[in-house]
Amino acid sequence: MANFNAPDRQMSRLGTILVAIVLVLIASLTLVVSTRAAGLPQSGETEPGTEAYCLSCHNNPNLQMTLPSGETLSLYISADKLSKSAHSPLGIECHACHTEITTYPHPKIDFTTRRELSRSYYLACQKCHEANYTKAQDSMHAKVAEAGNLDAPICTDCHGAHDVRPPDQPRAHISEICGQCHTQIFDAYKNSIHGAALIQENNPDVPVCTDCHGVHNIQDPRTQEFRVETPELCAGCHANQELMAKYGLNADVYSLYKLSWHGVDVSIYKAKWPNLWHNSAVCTDCHGTHDILATDNPASKVNPINLLVTCQQCHPDANANFTGAWTGHNQISLSRTPFVYYTDAFYSTFTPFVLWASAIYIILQILRALVARVRRSLR
Amino acid sequence: MSASKMSGSPKMNAANNAGVTGQPVASVTQNGIRTERSFKRFTLGQRWEHAVLFLSFTVLLLTGLPQKYFSSWGYRVLTSPDSVLLVRQIHHIAAIVLTLEVVYHLGRGILLLARRQLSASVFPTWQDMRDAWQMTKYLLFLSNKKPIFGKYNFEQKFTYWFLFVAIGIMVFSGFILWFPILITRFLPGGIIPAAQLAHSSEAIAAAIFVVLWHFYHVHFERLNLSIFTGRINEEDMREFHQLEYERLTGEKIADETVASTGKDPQQGGSE
Repeated sequence: MANFNAPDRQMSRLGTILVAIVLVLIASLTLVVSTRAAGLPQSGETEPGTEAYCLSCHNNPNLQMTLPSGETLSLYISADKLSKSAHSPLGIECHACHTEITTYPHPKIDFTTRRELSRSYYLACQKCHEANYTKAQDSMHAKVAEAGNLDAPICTDCHGAHDVRPPDQPRAHISEICGQCHTQIFDAYKNSIHGAALIQENNPDVPVCTDCHGVHNIQDPRTQEFRVETPELCAGCHANQELMAKYGLNADVYSLYKLSWHGVDVSIYKAKWPNLWHNSAVCTDCHGTHDILATDNPASKVNPINLLVTCQQCHPDANANFTGAWTGHNQISLSRTPFVYYTDAFYSTFTPFVLWASAIYIILQILRALVARVRRSLR
Repeated sequence: MSASKMSGSPKMNAANNAGVTGQPVASVTQNGIRTERSFKRFTLGQRWEHAVLFLSFTVLLLTGLPQKYFSSWGYRVLTSPDSVLLVRQIHHIAAIVLTLEVVYHLGRGILLLARRQLSASVFPTWQDMRDAWQMTKYLLFLSNKKPIFGKYNFEQKFTYWFLFVAIGIMVFSGFILWFPILITRFLPGGIIPAAQLAHSSEAIAAAIFVVLWHFYHVHFERLNLSIFTGRINEEDMREFHQLEYERLTGEKIADETVASTGKDPQQGGSE
């Protein structure tokens, strides 16, 4: 055994020296790093390219750099946030997105502004989320960016970057995300029947922004195409018997709207000329858009006390009587719509009776004339 | 023809312009040529009224139907919003024409009735109910006796009054739809959707009625062109308006219940 021990011991001594040299080298490297970054890496525990390796520098809250634009770019990454993100716990670490950075020193970055940097790094999202990335390229936001507005949101603006996590936890978070930029609309929405139920009760049924506007391929809602789709959009929930019954709401509002003057007009334009602007009222014209309130709310645009003003948006000369022309999404009934009720009764009973009686009379006349003619010829 | 040649009731001479008198034209048998006697049935004014009514009714129907049935087939005709507007404008112009006709007809009728220059023969009477009942029995082979009629039989009165009411509804509801804001200054808003329903339904009812009832009686039962010519021939007069024939000629047709067509109407050959 001893015979074999001697060279073995020599080898282990050589190994110790090598390790020491490596340690010295690493230590000298980290010293270089420490001249620019305050944090000292925990050598020996980390391998280049791992999250822990990156964090060894980037967990320093003071780590930052100045871009040519004069903006300060914080290079601090909170380990805590990272651990709560959707990616990190799944082992999707820094390198997955920061593909060009594997070790220190990093390749030089040549971004002039923070925004330039964001708009470059978010391209990494498509590596895994290709479908949603592609959809987003068709969105209103992408079009605005193409037209030169670099503030238009990219993936990370809504989803976050290092702290990315499912956007609907809680569900209200979705609307809050949109509200970061669309502040006025979000303020209106917050107080609407939908927004209040969402934010105060975390109601699972009320629409958040994306339910109406779409998620990644959000389109311009100010177009005629969007406008004529509005009734169907609202009908998605408001024509759902089961869902409406839950809240004591009438699920016939859509089908009755379709029979109204407005509804017929809109469906014609939708079917035949979807690109032509037309003013016939869609749901939001009367009920409001982001500020929709319950109809019994005195502030609701369709509350009887406000109805005239709402009608006057399009019919400026209308007076109070005119509001009675709107049957209020009600089925024909004697109590709610007496004029229509009697008219309908007249045309569904008396008129058909008269016409059928006339038809039978004519048939009898024809038969009698035929018989008379046959008799005459036989005479 | 001078008034002195009239064979009708002398009391009605002044009413010539009202189209009440059936002024027979002598049928003369000379040189073997027999010209048939005919009676005046409608005045020139009435014939013009019918022409205006016919034209405006047709235009209104043709421009209204593609609007009513836009989704099912109207869009094939009205291919752009501009064409809808155009058709609507034509509809409105025809509506004004029809409305003027209605106003003229009512005004003239009321004026002449008040001056006792127009016979009230178009108004329904209990006799019409009895005639209708008798006619129904006749048509059902329950009776062989066909009722005899005056200037207007109950079928013709029914045509007139059905369309009178229908056109009234169409004009009234049409103007409500055309000027909803103005109308609701005076009337409750609930009449607007009611007018919409009425305008749409009554149009179809009136169209069906004209084709079914009016066309049958004036085209198929017999070709009756008196509203265009203004005259009715003696044969039709005897068969369909026996009482009027007797009133105008002073003759009595033998009480054959079914007017005999085989009889040579020579009794009216001279005046």
